[in-house]
Amino acid sequence: MKLLEYAVRREWPPVVGAALFVSLLAAGYYYNLTFVQLGLFDLGVNRVGMTHTAVSLGMALLALLAFCSAVATGVALDRTGWSRDLLVKLRLVLGVVLTQLVLTAAAPFVAAPAHFFAWIVVCALSLGVGMPTTLSLTIDFVPVRDRGYVAAAVAGLSFFVAAIYPLEWSVEEFSLVMVAAMVPGSVAIGVLASGRVGLVETLAEQHEEFGVGRFCRPDPVRTRSLPFWTLVALLFGVFFIDSLGFLRLVETPTYIFTSWQSPDLRVRLFIACAHVVGAAMAGVLYTNFERQWLFLWVLGLFSFTHLLYTFDTRVAGAGEPPLLLPFFYVLAVSFYTTLNFALWPDLSTPETIGTHSAIGLGMAGFLATFLSTGVALYFRALEVSLSDHLSIVNALALLLFVGLAVLLYVRRMIVLARAETT
Amino acid sequence: MRPELIPLLVVALLLLSAGGAEVDRAEILLDGDHAADDAERAVIVGDATLTVPANATVSGPIYIIAGETRIRGTVDGDVVQLAGNLTVDEGAAIDDELRLIGGERTVAPGASIAERTSFEPVSRDASPLATVVTFAVQSLLVGAVAFGFGRRKPTLLRNVGDSITDHTLVSATIGLLASVTALALFVFMAFTLILLPVSLLGLLGGLFVVSYGYVVYGYLLGRHLPFERPGLASAAGTVLFLGLLRALSWLPIVGTWVGLALSVVGVGATLITYFGLSEFEPVQLPK
Repeated sequence: MKLLEYAVRREWPPVVGAALFVSLLAAGYYYNLTFVQLGLFDLGVNRVGMTHTAVSLGMALLALLAFCSAVATGVALDRTGWSRDLLVKLRLVLGVVLTQLVLTAAAPFVAAPAHFFAWIVVCALSLGVGMPTTLSLTIDFVPVRDRGYVAAAVAGLSFFVAAIYPLEWSVEEFSLVMVAAMVPGSVAIGVLASGRVGLVETLAEQHEEFGVGRFCRPDPVRTRSLPFWTLVALLFGVFFIDSLGFLRLVETPTYIFTSWQSPDLRVRLFIACAHVVGAAMAGVLYTNFERQWLFLWVLGLFSFTHLLYTFDTRVAGAGEPPLLLPFFYVLAVSFYTTLNFALWPDLSTPETIGTHSAIGLGMAGFLATFLSTGVALYFRALEVSLSDHLSIVNALALLLFVGLAVLLYVRRMIVLARAETT
Repeated sequence: MRPELIPLLVVALLLLSAGGAEVDRAEILLDGDHAADDAERAVIVGDATLTVPANATVSGPIYIIAGETRIRGTVDGDVVQLAGNLTVDEGAAIDDELRLIGGERTVAPGASIAERTSFEPVSRDASPLATVVTFAVQSLLVGAVAFGFGRRKPTLLRNVGDSITDHTLVSATIGLLASVTALALFVFMAFTLILLPVSLLGLLGGLFVVSYGYVVYGYLLGRHLPFERPGLASAAGTVLFLGLLRALSWLPIVGTWVGLALSVVGVGATLITYFGLSEFEPVQLPK
């Protein structure tokens, strides 16, 4: 591990940079997991009095706007050369954090549908700017060899905290706590972005060593290339499957008791720890194996998880489902989240990090969520049963799993056939 | 659910299906306290407590693989005990067969049991001599395998051994992931009934991989023993390793975890080296 080597040699700037990166990205992702995913439903349904469907449409709008905003930001970062300028990126992050600080403080005062949609639009734009900008800091802060471990730390930390706090959702309390945490965070980013800190100058030069991602060696991966879009499609599929299944499971009372929203602290602690273990495993696998193995594991785990859920809906009695079900779900989610944070920077160079991060995060994360929300709403309108809904999700997961296995086999065959003819 | 319960669960499902019961309607109790109701379905008692209340009649069958089962009323079917604790109180009744295969039990003299059969392969109060003999037989079998591999295919053992020592974290990760997933998969297969034989085969395969890992640990230990012949060193090392595992099991909690960790790393190292057919090389970062 390169970061350990730096620590042993007492070269602290790379270590501090990596810690800063983990804090920034984990805090941003935690905000997304809690305030955006949990908070929006509470805000829309319980406080504004909107219907469940209207709030779902609001969330779909958020995902679509965030996607557009992310792609525009990513392309702009690369074309202007800002993706290679650490100070500019830190200032953009500062702007995003300040916007979200205002949004968080304003959330308890949202009282009408118009306010709700306005809140969503501003939130979507800030998320769209924030995610690719933060992820493009990878080239300044994270050694290429350690990207799997750092991504695992981000995923594990954010999921762990999100599973434990808040135990009971209250927008006023959560808003207050978040504002209290965001103010010192904003001040710290402000100091770093001021251009008067020597450490930032040192970190700004690191992209010359850390900039070229693992899969861009020796040749960079082009944006308009088949490998890049194959990976975008695969991760899109993974996010879509997860989101489509989650949207239904989270509405099913039996499964809520063994999920993130369980009122039992022990269950949530179990889930939190499973997230950390899953992320750590993904980090080890990402670092030591080819990326296709991780994709195979993610898709295989999702297929198996939904097979378990489908089976449970058919045979289980009235009791709570075993914790084995959320355990496998959590494992799969931690796997693909780690993969998501490490993959896009590793498919990029300093010239393409903005665009690739934006397309990757935007299409795989935001657009997949937008479409899965739409499909889930359509299923609800058709009154599709839980068992049928999960069967469809399971079929998709199995299809992707088998498709990937066949794709890998065929690719190997082509390589061998070409070697035979030459 | 504890991993060691999985083979018992599979056996219970196998017996259940052989007895003609509807496996997909069976209720599996994995934790908590439960009172048996009058629903017509089979019950499998895992790490839970099941009570058949006095004056109540349940249809059965009841399969006990762990936990605590207390019968105070009437069971109108079979009761099969594979492990765990069973108490049949005064005045309770089992209208069909009570089959005893393992576990601890207390049956009150006044309990009414239509038929009782016992298939316990090992006496519950095994003498120290029997324990030593069992260990000797196990050691002899695994030691003979280690001798064969150490003599004829030492490269296989060396490759797996190198992964255990040089890539412990990767081996542990793969071992843990593969073990947890495979165990859940085999249980799931057993529920389908059609795949029950595959599930049993899978469990046997798993046992083989774990044993293979033990042989490799034996090979690693044998390298430090004063034997010149590699086969003999591997065999002696394996017997020593099995003895250490047995000694570890006497340590409460820590011993179990250490033993489990060693098994998991062994499984992972075996898998990532394809049973030692190739060395494990982590992905290198191109320049």
